[in-house]
Amino acid sequence: MPAYQPSVADTVRSLVTKQLNLNGYSQDLRPDDNLWSLGMTSLTCLGLMLSIEDTFEIELPEEALKEATFRSINTISAAVESSRK
Amino acid sequence: MSNPTMRSSDLVSAAGAKRPTKADVVIIGNGALGMFLADELIERQVGSVVVVGPSNRDTGASQAAGAMLGCFGETTTESLRTDAARTRFELGISAHDKWPEALRRLDEFKPSDRPLQTTTESHIILNSVGAELDTVNFAAIIDALDQYDKPWKEVDPTDIPGYNPRTESRALRAIHLPTEGAVDARGVLASLERRLRHGGAILLDQTVRRLVGSDEAVTGVELDDGHLIEAGAVVVAAGIHSESLVRTVFDVPDLMPTFPGLGFAMIAKRTGGEPFTSVVRTPNRGFACGLHVVPQGGGLEYYGATNRLVNTISSVTWMADVRFLAQYSMQQLDERAAIHEVTKWCSGNRPVTLDGFPLVGWMPPSGLYLMTGTYRDGFHCAPLLAEHVANELQGKSGIIDSIFQPMRKPVATRTMEWSIDEYVTHSLAAWFETGAQAAPQMTTSQLTDYYRNMAVQTYEQLGVDYGLGPDILWYAQGNLHGARRVARFLRTFKGDGDVAQPAGATTGTGGTR
Repeated sequence: MPAYQPSVADTVRSLVTKQLNLNGYSQDLRPDDNLWSLGMTSLTCLGLMLSIEDTFEIELPEEALKEATFRSINTISAAVESSRK
Repeated sequence: MSNPTMRSSDLVSAAGAKRPTKADVVIIGNGALGMFLADELIERQVGSVVVVGPSNRDTGASQAAGAMLGCFGETTTESLRTDAARTRFELGISAHDKWPEALRRLDEFKPSDRPLQTTTESHIILNSVGAELDTVNFAAIIDALDQYDKPWKEVDPTDIPGYNPRTESRALRAIHLPTEGAVDARGVLASLERRLRHGGAILLDQTVRRLVGSDEAVTGVELDDGHLIEAGAVVVAAGIHSESLVRTVFDVPDLMPTFPGLGFAMIAKRTGGEPFTSVVRTPNRGFACGLHVVPQGGGLEYYGATNRLVNTISSVTWMADVRFLAQYSMQQLDERAAIHEVTKWCSGNRPVTLDGFPLVGWMPPSGLYLMTGTYRDGFHCAPLLAEHVANELQGKSGIIDSIFQPMRKPVATRTMEWSIDEYVTHSLAAWFETGAQAAPQMTTSQLTDYYRNMAVQTYEQLGVDYGLGPDILWYAQGNLHGARRVARFLRTFKGDGDVAQPAGATTGTGGTR
C-alpha cells in the first residue's frame, strides 16, 4: 500500500493555517474562503509566499506575485499546480 | 582564475569600422562609468575599445543625474560609523580629486560654450521640514568636514544667492562648502562622446542581448540584432541592466541583487529673480538624496530628486513624484520656481545593490569585468573607477579597496536592531517631509511604534538575519517580488559563516538613537 501523499491543497491548507495563526480553526477553513478577509496582510502574505515556494520547491512566475494569487487555498493551489507543470 | 590583459594583436581598425567583429575591450554601457573608462583606455592607448549603449541612454542614471561633485554634502550618520562605510565614503573623497584633470581633458570637446563645471561650491541648508533625520545628518556633515579637515563655514541662509523659500520652510541653519560643486552631466557625456570618437573608440548606438561564452569564460557579446563582437575583455557597466546581462552566462544564486532606484528630477529655465550660483541642498533625507538645486548654466537649473526602489526598469515618472518635487522646490528652495519653464524631465534608474556598496571587479568567468552598483554617486566616482578598472584590465594593481569585489557576501554595516531603528527614522522623516498628517491626538511616538512593528514583522516574514538598509527594507516590505529577491539571496548565505561580520566591516552597537 503506497504511503499517504498529502494533496497540494492539503499542504497549502497547512501552510495557510500556520501563517495566519488559524490553529484550531483549520477544519473550518473552506477552499474558497477569502484569506484577506481572515486577517492576511501584505506582510503575512510575504511569508506565505516564501513558505509555499520553499515547501513545493518552486518559483512562482512574476505575474503570479499579486494579491489575487493568494486569495484562497484554491487560488494558491492552482498557482502551485501551474508552476509544477 | 585568470583574466586576459589586452592584446595588441587583437586590434580592429577603429577608423571607419562601424560594426567591428573584434575588439580588445567591449564596454557595455555608455553612462558615466562606461564612458570615463573608455576614455581612460583610449588615453592609455592600450587597444581597441567599443562602447555599446543606446544614444538616448533611456532609463540610465547618468543622463538624469544632477552630478553634484559632493561627498561631504552626501554625508549621513551612517557614512563614517563603520569601517566599511568609511571605506565607501573615502572612495568619494578620492574621486573628488580626479575631477580637475577629467574636466581639463574634456574642455576642448564640450558641445557648447557653457562650462562643464557649472559651480564650484555648495550650500547645505537645515530646515524643519525633513524631521530629525535632517538634523542628525546635518551634524554628521559638519563632523565629517572637521574629521577630514575640509573647509566650511556657517552662513546666514538669507545670504545664499537664489535661495528664497516660503517663510514657513525657511532654513534654520546653513553652511557653505567652497570646494563641492557640480558638473553639467549631459554636457560631460556629450563631451566624452566627442573625445572618444576623436580618439578612435567606436560607440555603437545599440544594446547587448547577451554575453557570449560560458560560466567559465566570456569571449564577447551579441548585440540586439544578432551581431557578434569578439572581445579580449568585456566590461559590464550597464547600470541597472548589468545584473541581467551577467546572468546570461553566470546565473548563480549568490550574485548580489541590484534593484532599480527610480528617480525623477527636472531642468527648468529661470524666468525671473536671482539665480542660484551654487548647489543648494538639504542633507540626505528619508530613503532619498534630499532636495537640491544645481545650476546648469545658460539660465537653467536642475531640481532633484526622488528615489524609490521598484521592480521594473522604466523611464516613467510617478505623478506623486512630480507633485513632490515641484511643490517642495517652490516651498523650500525658491518660491519663484513656480513660474520657471520646465525644459526637461529627467528620469533614471540608479543601480542599488542589496548591501548598498558598489560592485567593481573581475567575475569568475574569465574575461568578464563588472562595474556597477554605485547607487547615487556613480557620476562622481566615474573618473576614479575608470582609472582603477583600466589598471586591472591591464593586469596592474587597482587603486580602490578590495571590499567592492562583486562576488562577495553582503557587506554588513548594521545589526538587525540598528536596521529597524534606521528604518523607523527614515519612515518618520518621509512622513513629515511629504506633509502626511495624523489625527491630532496621534503622537510621534505612536507613529514610531507603528513603523517599528512593520519593520519587526517584515524581518519575521523574510526569515533573514542580515541588517538591511532602510531603502531595501522598505522595498522588501512593500512587494512580493522584492521580498523574494532579498530573501532568496540572503538565504544562500545562511549557515555559511560570518555574513554579519565580514572582514573590514564592523557593525554598530545596535543601540537606539
